[in-house]
Amino acid sequence: MQMKRAAYIFVCLAVLLTAGKDNGAALDTDAIVQAAVTYYRGNASVSTVDMIVHRPNWQRAYTIKAWTRGQKDSLFTILAPSRDQGNGTLKRGREMWTYNPKVNRVIKLPPSMMSQAWMGSDFSNNDLAKSDSILEDYDHEAAGTETHDGKKVYVISARPKSNAPVIWGMQKLKIREDYILLCQEFYDEDLRLVKAMTGEQIQPLGGKLFPKVWKMQKADRPQAYTVLDYRELVFHDDLSDSIFSLSSLKQPRR
Amino acid sequence: MTSIELKMAWRNIWRNPRRSILTMLAVAFACLLLIFMLSWQFGSYETMINSTVKIQTGHIQVQALEFREKNDIRLAVQDPAAIIRILKKTAGINAYTLRSKTFSLISSKNRTCGAMVIGIDPVREGRMSPLKKLVRKGRYFSSDDSNQAIIGSLLAKNLRVNIGDELIILGQGFDGSVAASMVKVKGIFNSGQDDFDRGLVHIPLKFFEAVYAMRGAVHEVVVTANSLKEVAEIKKKVAAGLASAGLKTKLVVLDWKQLMPGLIEAIKMDLVSGLIFYVILIVVVAFSILNTFLMAIFERTREFGILMALGISAGKLTRLLLLESMTMTLLGVFIGAIAGSLITSYFQAHGIVIPGSTELLRQYGLPERMHPRLSLLSASIGAGIVLLITSLTALYPALKVRRLRPLEAMMSA
Repeated sequence: MQMKRAAYIFVCLAVLLTAGKDNGAALDTDAIVQAAVTYYRGNASVSTVDMIVHRPNWQRAYTIKAWTRGQKDSLFTILAPSRDQGNGTLKRGREMWTYNPKVNRVIKLPPSMMSQAWMGSDFSNNDLAKSDSILEDYDHEAAGTETHDGKKVYVISARPKSNAPVIWGMQKLKIREDYILLCQEFYDEDLRLVKAMTGEQIQPLGGKLFPKVWKMQKADRPQAYTVLDYRELVFHDDLSDSIFSLSSLKQPRR
Repeated sequence: MTSIELKMAWRNIWRNPRRSILTMLAVAFACLLLIFMLSWQFGSYETMINSTVKIQTGHIQVQALEFREKNDIRLAVQDPAAIIRILKKTAGINAYTLRSKTFSLISSKNRTCGAMVIGIDPVREGRMSPLKKLVRKGRYFSSDDSNQAIIGSLLAKNLRVNIGDELIILGQGFDGSVAASMVKVKGIFNSGQDDFDRGLVHIPLKFFEAVYAMRGAVHEVVVTANSLKEVAEIKKKVAAGLASAGLKTKLVVLDWKQLMPGLIEAIKMDLVSGLIFYVILIVVVAFSILNTFLMAIFERTREFGILMALGISAGKLTRLLLLESMTMTLLGVFIGAIAGSLITSYFQAHGIVIPGSTELLRQYGLPERMHPRLSLLSASIGAGIVLLITSLTALYPALKVRRLRPLEAMMSA
């Protein structure tokens, strides 16, 4: 009787362990990426960011105010320089609009514009909107671990699902065990590095640890990069629908 | 070679006039066909090059290094006046114009498309490119137009706009700022080339400069040469002029082959398929001539036997036969060359419309009426090849005669 019971427990344990192991590997990476996206997006956020677009022979600085909500909605508006003040981009779900005060018109952008550079920077609309593309359109796979500031870092390679509407052949993410995204690399179809985004100066921001500076570096040209520097960042539980509306795109609250 | 041989050869030819005339006509026809086809090919290449070059790229362009590959608005020619000074000193230039271009969003009331916005100098462009003639609806720019646009017919259809409607242009300026402006559709052009009609918006260069904050810079200095032949020389001179001018930005001089690599590829492919056709044509002609010559010898075996019995040497007989075939070939080539040149020059003047090909040609932006181009080269290549091949073919039967034995030959047939 005793033997039988011990054997039963042993079998149960074995089943549990192997099952846990199998699911764990697959689930883990998805969960880590999900957690990282949730971490940097929060439920909703309002931020003011300085953006510097650097090129070999010129450089341009912008100040942008950004609202995000969940993984689908975002609104950016340019505060400075004055020539571009009031230009804005609204994303709701998979739809996107842009507004220009000079011609006073809201223009609906074709979906293909999502992967285009925003304002001539190295960030695409997708990158800026912190879109959920990395979650929905990619399969994730563990590709090793590193350490950063004494904390464990998961290296995850993300390959696009077949038929996913994405332009990258692969993305590589480095996510710290506290779900801070340290690095996101973008590869083309031939798996050559095109650009890489790194999070720097991790410090308390908006009530949690957050990389204050994001740098998007072109792989082949060291002098071509864009830096995002968070001046202010506040996380909210929710933001009202009216912020992510076309009228708000025309008249964003300051 | 004596006159008696010539006389004999001449008489032999006309002893069977039908056969000889047919042989000569075969040669003449091959010659005519080759001359016409070659002239046609050369002519269509020139048409292709000139018509595509005129509306799109010009024969030569001066651009910033890498602009063609990257189309980056920052890669601009900062001081176009300096380039124009160089051009004015260069001989053989027919016209030049300045263009700026960048990709932007074009938005009508409820539709948005991406398109290439091109700033053009209304006066100079009008003189150089056929754009003015291609405007099918509305009108071409006048010299003082500002926020007006001439757009492609397919783009107009996609955006659902007509003459007088407003379009919003939204892009990025030279300094990285947002470039936005409203323009009114002044003209709609139809070049027949779909890429072109779908993706181009022309606005006056001055207006482009203001909208995109170009500060005097342009993207392309477009040059057309007096003739295609002079392009290489002009390119060399302009490049030398640029090198000695010592400009700040790195500029390159590109010719139409570099600007439109697809065009030269298309020409090469066409030339190869043409070559295959010519080889087949020549082989057919060669065999038909070989056949007539051989038949002549079989028919005349008895005659050759008698001639040999009378003491004519085998060498003399060969020479006689060669003389006959050469005379026929020369006559045939002569007739063919004259007829070919006449027919070709008729069509060179009047042009040909191939029924049903209009659509295809339109895709490549070519006019529907094609003109062959007769040149010394196309005429002499055609005639020369036919002459060479027939002479070689005639050698075989002429040499075969040497193996005849007089007695056997006399007894045959």
